[in-house]
Amino acid sequence: MPTDTKRVRGPEVSQSPSLFLCKPATVLPSQGPRADGRQRDQVDVRPVFVRCGLVSQAKGSAYIEAGNTKLMCCVYGPRETERKDETDMKCGRLTTDMRFAPFSCLERGSWIQGSQDKDLSLMLHESLQPAVCLNKYPRSQIEVNVMVLENSGSVLAHAVTCASLALADAGIEMYDLVLGCSIRQDGASYVVDPSYMEENSCSSASSRNQGGLTVAFLPSLNQISGLQSDGEMTEETLAAGVRTCIEGCYKLYPVIQQALAKAVRRAAPPPSES
Amino acid sequence: MATVQVSEAEKVYILHGIRDDLRVDGRGCEDYRHMEIETDVVSNTDGSAKVTLGHTAVLVGVKADIGKPRPMVPNEGYFEFFVDCSANATPEFEGRGGEELGTELSNTLYKVFNNKHSVDLKSLCISAGEHCWVLYVDVLLLQCDGNLYDAISVAIKAALFNTKIPRVHISADEEGGKEIELSDDPYDCMRLNVENVPCIVTLCKVGHRHVVDATLQEKACSVASLIISVTHKGTVTCTRKVGGGSLDPESIFEMTEAGKRVGKNLHAPLMKLLQQEESLGKTRQKVGFLG
Repeated sequence: MPTDTKRVRGPEVSQSPSLFLCKPATVLPSQGPRADGRQRDQVDVRPVFVRCGLVSQAKGSAYIEAGNTKLMCCVYGPRETERKDETDMKCGRLTTDMRFAPFSCLERGSWIQGSQDKDLSLMLHESLQPAVCLNKYPRSQIEVNVMVLENSGSVLAHAVTCASLALADAGIEMYDLVLGCSIRQDGASYVVDPSYMEENSCSSASSRNQGGLTVAFLPSLNQISGLQSDGEMTEETLAAGVRTCIEGCYKLYPVIQQALAKAVRRAAPPPSES
Repeated sequence: MATVQVSEAEKVYILHGIRDDLRVDGRGCEDYRHMEIETDVVSNTDGSAKVTLGHTAVLVGVKADIGKPRPMVPNEGYFEFFVDCSANATPEFEGRGGEELGTELSNTLYKVFNNKHSVDLKSLCISAGEHCWVLYVDVLLLQCDGNLYDAISVAIKAALFNTKIPRVHISADEEGGKEIELSDDPYDCMRLNVENVPCIVTLCKVGHRHVVDATLQEKACSVASLIISVTHKGTVTCTRKVGGGSLDPESIFEMTEAGKRVGKNLHAPLMKLLQQEESLGKTRQKVGFLG
């Protein structure tokens, strides 16, 4: 087990006080409006705040806030890479890294990358790779680093959106923006863009059709670049969920386009007529 | 994953063949290669199985240990998956080369089993909040010829079917603490119900069609694959898109449907085969690793 020698750690075994609560954790009801006032069974995504160009040292960067979920992404590159093998000569390489800040989740996480972080980084890589024109950057490496500052649900979906914005802000050539959307299926109803509580509540009532689905989508090309689901669902529910996520991505598209246009205008103001 | 170099002419040949539902080795698009399964191959484990799918060989060992249950679910046991890509499989896996692939495979396995119905975790509880059975499922890749997910999931199902967990009795000792006693009879054990354990089907998109159980050459011609894990009733427990390409939503729906169909049909013959092998009992001829 790798040990972290740079930080002073507390006792080996420590537990979150939430385990010792007297009353049992409330199970979220699977009917009626959601906790934050949005509707279930409708494509009701959280309003999103997006800004590009926050990190001055990075080639491109983006920050996204959706409800309480906050993420930032930095892109470095294209940088030269040593020629490892023949494939590097013909097209570039995309490296992705997704990390959670230790204070981002309800329970303190560790700085060392766990298997969940590696899994999410891999999913992010698979979602972004089809969109980036890597053949235009031979012998180069493009690094994408996502840092989750606060995890309040559907982290992977927003990370995909944030990363593709940061890539566009860095001027990396892409076929299209990649947008992410996730849903949580709970019995017969679903909630789009679930919050942390909605993602992790296990309602004991319904046994069928419980699970989560995340889709990464390229809107102008109508292609799915990333898909991940877990839990138990029938195939029809899965197909319906994918369609719902695609709708959610289309809803998000104009906001992201506007934010990108604003960032470009700010960086290079149009010549004044004189 | 181990890769082969495929020339452009070969790619075109494979693509055209698949377009006409004829693969290089004569199979149809939804046919599996020859699969051999043998259980109880390693005597030190509580359950084991070896699966050979074409040239891919996978060995799974299950060991049951007594541990402390997870704080959020005190009355359930749990699984721990670990996939080791041995350097025997290909030289690329030497040292830490196979670690990335191993983590990807084990993370997917966690997702596949992350639901209430695959295995009855409550039956793994010994005393709530204090002791439970932890099943360590260790997968070893012996040979790699494509389609690792399918072979691993079939091997895990066979190994869990073969797992014999000893029965325990909890008694109170002198100071009032709990003492765990294993029963003396080595044949007094608990078996797991593996009816609902899902099987993973990998569908590779080659050209405009999809193929099941792709070899390494076919994988080199495909842009993206979809991994779908299906139970015997047809419920989907995990899906994942792998590969560096993108897929059309229509092809995803098509591939999910095909995957569900193929996966559902995999379970009945597998259970029958496992029960048949079990019923042979002592008369069974062990093939082992050299057969």
